[in-house]
Amino acid sequence: MSATADPLAPGAVAMRIANVGMRFGGLWALSEVSFDVERGSVVGLIGPNGSGKTTLMNVISGVYKPSTGEVTYAGKRIADVPTHEVCHLGIARTFQVVKPFASLTVRENVAVGAMYGRNGAKRSTRASFERAQELLEFVGLARVAERPASDLTIPDRKRLEVAKALALDPDVLLLDEVMAGLNAAEVDEALDLLRAVNGRGVTLIVVEHLMKAIVSISTTIVVLAEGKKIAQGAPSEVLASPQVIEAYLGSRWLKRQEQLKQIESQRAEAERVQPPEATQQPLDPPQHPPEATP
Amino acid sequence: MQLLAQDLVNGILAGGILAVVALGFSLVWGIMNIINLAHGAFIMLGAYLTYQLFQSFHVDPFLSLPISFVALFVLGYLIQRSLINWVARAPILTTFLLTFGLSLLLVNIAEIVWTGDRRGITTVYTGVSFTALGVTVPWVKLWTLLVALAITAAMQIWLTRTKTGRAIRATSMDIGAAQLSGVRTPQIYAIVYGLSAGLAGVAGTLIALSYALTPTMGDPFLIKAFVVCVLGGLGSVEGALIGGLVYGIVEAFATQLDFTIGTQHISGSGLQDAIALIVLLIVLIVRPTGIVGKATA
Amino acid sequence: MNHSPSAVQSSTGTVLRRIGLGGITGSPVAFAIALGIMALLLAVPATHNDYFQIVFRNILMYAAMAYGWNVIGGYTGYVSFGQVAFFGLGGYCSAVLSANGVDNLFADVALACVVNVAFAIVIGIPVLRLKGHYFAIATLGIALAITDIVANLDALGGSSGLAVHHVDEAHFYIYYYAMWLVALGSMLGTYAIARSKLGYAFVAIRENEDAAAVLGIGQTRYKVIAWAISGMMAGAAGAVFAPANGFLDPSIAFSVDSNVFPIVMAILGGVGSVAGPFIGSLILTGTNELLQRYFISIHTLFFGAMIVLVVLLLPRGLVWLFGLKGGARAWLKALTAYKA
Repeated sequence: MSATADPLAPGAVAMRIANVGMRFGGLWALSEVSFDVERGSVVGLIGPNGSGKTTLMNVISGVYKPSTGEVTYAGKRIADVPTHEVCHLGIARTFQVVKPFASLTVRENVAVGAMYGRNGAKRSTRASFERAQELLEFVGLARVAERPASDLTIPDRKRLEVAKALALDPDVLLLDEVMAGLNAAEVDEALDLLRAVNGRGVTLIVVEHLMKAIVSISTTIVVLAEGKKIAQGAPSEVLASPQVIEAYLGSRWLKRQEQLKQIESQRAEAERVQPPEATQQPLDPPQHPPEATP
Repeated sequence: MQLLAQDLVNGILAGGILAVVALGFSLVWGIMNIINLAHGAFIMLGAYLTYQLFQSFHVDPFLSLPISFVALFVLGYLIQRSLINWVARAPILTTFLLTFGLSLLLVNIAEIVWTGDRRGITTVYTGVSFTALGVTVPWVKLWTLLVALAITAAMQIWLTRTKTGRAIRATSMDIGAAQLSGVRTPQIYAIVYGLSAGLAGVAGTLIALSYALTPTMGDPFLIKAFVVCVLGGLGSVEGALIGGLVYGIVEAFATQLDFTIGTQHISGSGLQDAIALIVLLIVLIVRPTGIVGKATA
Repeated sequence: MNHSPSAVQSSTGTVLRRIGLGGITGSPVAFAIALGIMALLLAVPATHNDYFQIVFRNILMYAAMAYGWNVIGGYTGYVSFGQVAFFGLGGYCSAVLSANGVDNLFADVALACVVNVAFAIVIGIPVLRLKGHYFAIATLGIALAITDIVANLDALGGSSGLAVHHVDEAHFYIYYYAMWLVALGSMLGTYAIARSKLGYAFVAIRENEDAAAVLGIGQTRYKVIAWAISGMMAGAAGAVFAPANGFLDPSIAFSVDSNVFPIVMAILGGVGSVAGPFIGSLILTGTNELLQRYFISIHTLFFGAMIVLVVLLLPRGLVWLFGLKGGARAWLKALTAYKA
C-alpha cells in the first residue's frame, strides 16, 4: 500500500517499510521488518552487531532489492528505481567506509552532488559550486574547500560525506555509522550538525552504535535483533524494555540482574528485621527497574 | 562426421599449446595483477631461440625445451626486477603500457637480428603423421600435446608441493599475511614473472615445431591467452588447461566456417581475432568467473 | 579469497595527492602555450615545404586521437585500447563516400561522427559494463576484430583496400587546415568538457563509480557519452586522413601504431588535462618523424624505449609535472610510489 497522504506535510508518513525481508543464500538477514518513518522525525536504528542494520539501510537506499516486502517513498517503490535515480526521489545516504573523489577538491566533491542530484538539472556549473560553498559553510568545511579531498582528517571526511549527501537536496537522509571513529568532542559536534540538518526539515534515519548519541537525537528508536524488529518507540521506553536489554546483553545477564535484585531485597528485608550493631543505615529507597546501560 | 572428428582432434592438439601459453599469462595476472602484453614477445623469443639452436648447433627442438625455459626465465626475472618492479602496484594503464613498450622493444630487436622473413624448422619428423579412426594426427602435434600436459601437471605439483610454490599461492591469496609470514614480495614477483616467461618460451619452442616463425608471431596469442584465462578462471592451473582445450576446439570449429551471403564470402580462418572477441564477450557476459569458476581479479 | 586488486594497485587519487594537484583542466599555462603553438601552426602551408606539411599534419592528427583517448581513458578512467577502431571507421567513411562520388570533407567528417557515435552506443552499452583489465582487453579485441572483419568485407575493398580521391597537389593544403580544425575542435571540446558538469561526471566515474551513481550520475549513460565523444574525435581525424593519404586498407586504417601511440602521447603530455594530448603529440610525433627520416630501422625500438621511459619516469605526464610541488624530491617520491 503506498503512502497516499501528502508526504510533505509534517508528521505525515514519509517512508513506509513494509514487511521487508532480505535473504542471502540460505540466510535471512532481515525478516518481516515493518515501520513507518514520519516526516521531520529522527529515527534511530539500533541493534547488536549482525542484527541487519546496514542491510536494512542498503534496502532503504536501493542498493539491495528486498527479497520480500517493499520500501515505499512518496508512493514509489524504491526497489523499482535504478541506483542513480534514488537521489532524485529525495533520499540520500552516507556510507560507513568513506571514499571521497580523491583527486577533486573538497568543494568539487560537494559540487558533483549539487550538479547531478535532485535539483541538479536546473543548476549551472557556477550555481553548483555556489551551492557547494554554502553547504561547506553549513557543515564547517569552508576552511578546507580548496584542498584535495584525500587530505582530510577522519572527522572532516565524515562532514564531507554529509555535505555531499545534502547537496542532493534530500528529504530523507540515511546516516550509516557516521560517528564511528570520532572522539567525544567530535561526537557532540556531529550531533549538533545533525540537529541542524533535521532543523532544516530533513528526516533522518541514523544507524549508530553510540547509545548516548542515538538517545539524545532520536525521536523514535527502532531496534533490530537477528534481522527482526523487536522494539519501536520513544527512546526511554525502548531502552527500558526487557527484550531490548536481553537482545544486547543476553538473557543470562537479564536473569542475573533479576537474581541480584532479589538478593538485594532479601538482604534489605533481613536488615530491617535484624538491624546491624554499629551505625543505623537508613533503608535504601525503593528500587526502580534498572536503566539500560550497555 | 569425419570432418567434425578431425576438427575436434585439431582443436585439442592446438589447445594444449594454448594451455601452456595461458598458464604463464594467468600466473602473472592472477598473482601480480598485471596483464603482461610482452607475453607474446616471450613466446616469439623462445621460438627463435629454438630455431637458432637448431640452425647453428643442430639441437633437436624437443631437446631445447629446457634451454628455452631457463633462458626465458632468466630474462623475465631480470626484466621484472629492473623494470616492472618499479610499477608493480601501479594502475593498469601503467603496467599495460610498460609491458607494451617492452614488447615493442623485444620484437624490434628480433627484427634486427633475424629480419622479418618467415622462417621454419624442418626436422626428419616434420609433417609425418598417422591416421587412426579416419582422423589424421601429425606426430609432432601429438608429442606437443603430451609435453604441454606434462608441463601443466608439473606446474600444478610445483605450486602445491614446494615451499616457493606455496609462497606464491600465499601471496596471491593475501599479500599482507604472506608478507607477515616472511615472504619477500619483490622476490616472489620476480620468480613468478620469470616463470611466466619461461613457460612462454617453452610454448614458443612447441609452436616452432609446427608453425612458421616471424617476429610478430606472438601477437595473436595475447588475446587468446586472455580469453583462455577468462574462460578457465584466473590463477588456476586446471582452469588454464580446460580453458585452453575448450578454446582450441571452439577455434578449430569456427575457422571451418565457410559460407557466402550474397556476393560476400565469409571464411572463418581469416576471422580468428573476431572469434576470440566474440567468445570473450559471451563468457564475460554470461559467466564472468569462467567455466572452472575461481575468483577473478 | 584472492587478494583484491586494490591491495596491489594504488588509486589515481593517491598519486595525484603526492603530486599535489587537483582540478580537471590541468595547468592553464600549458593550455595557453598549446593554443599559441596551434596559432603558429597555421603558418606551415605558407612555407611551401611538403615535408613539413606532412609532419605537422600528422602531429595534428595524432593530437586529435590523443584527445579522443583522453576523454574516455584520461578523464573517465576507462582505459581503452581500441580507439583505432573509430579512427579506421572514420577513414572508411571517407573512402566509401569517395567511391560513391562524394568528395567533400565536411560530409566525410559528418558521416564519420554519425557512424562512430552509433558504434560507440551499440558496442559501448555491453562493453562499458566491464571494468579495469577486462574493459581494456575487450577494446583491444574490438580493434583486432574489426581489422579482421573489414579485411573480409568485399564492399570495403577487403584486404586490398580502397583508393580515396583527393585534390591535386596545388590544393593539398586543405587537408592540412582540415586536420588543424579537427585538432583544434578536439582541444576546445576537451576544454569545454573540463569546465562543464560533464567533465565532473567523467571524473567522478573515474574516481569512484559507485559513489558517483549514488550522487545521481547514471553510469551507463555518461560512459557511453564519453566514449562517443572519444569516437568522434578519432573518427574525424580518420575521415581527413583517408583522402590525404589517398589510399586506405585495414592495416593502415587499424594499425597498432595508431592505436597505442595516442595513448602514450596523452600520458606523456598529461593524463586528464586539456593541454596534455597536444603537447604529447608534438613531442612524440615530431621525434618519430625525425627518426623515421634518419633512422628508419630503429624507430620502433625508439618508441618502445620511449614508452618504457615515459611510463617509469613521468607517471602523470608533463603538464602535471609543471604543477609539481616540492620539485625534484617530490618527483622522486612519486617514482617509487608504486614499488612492490
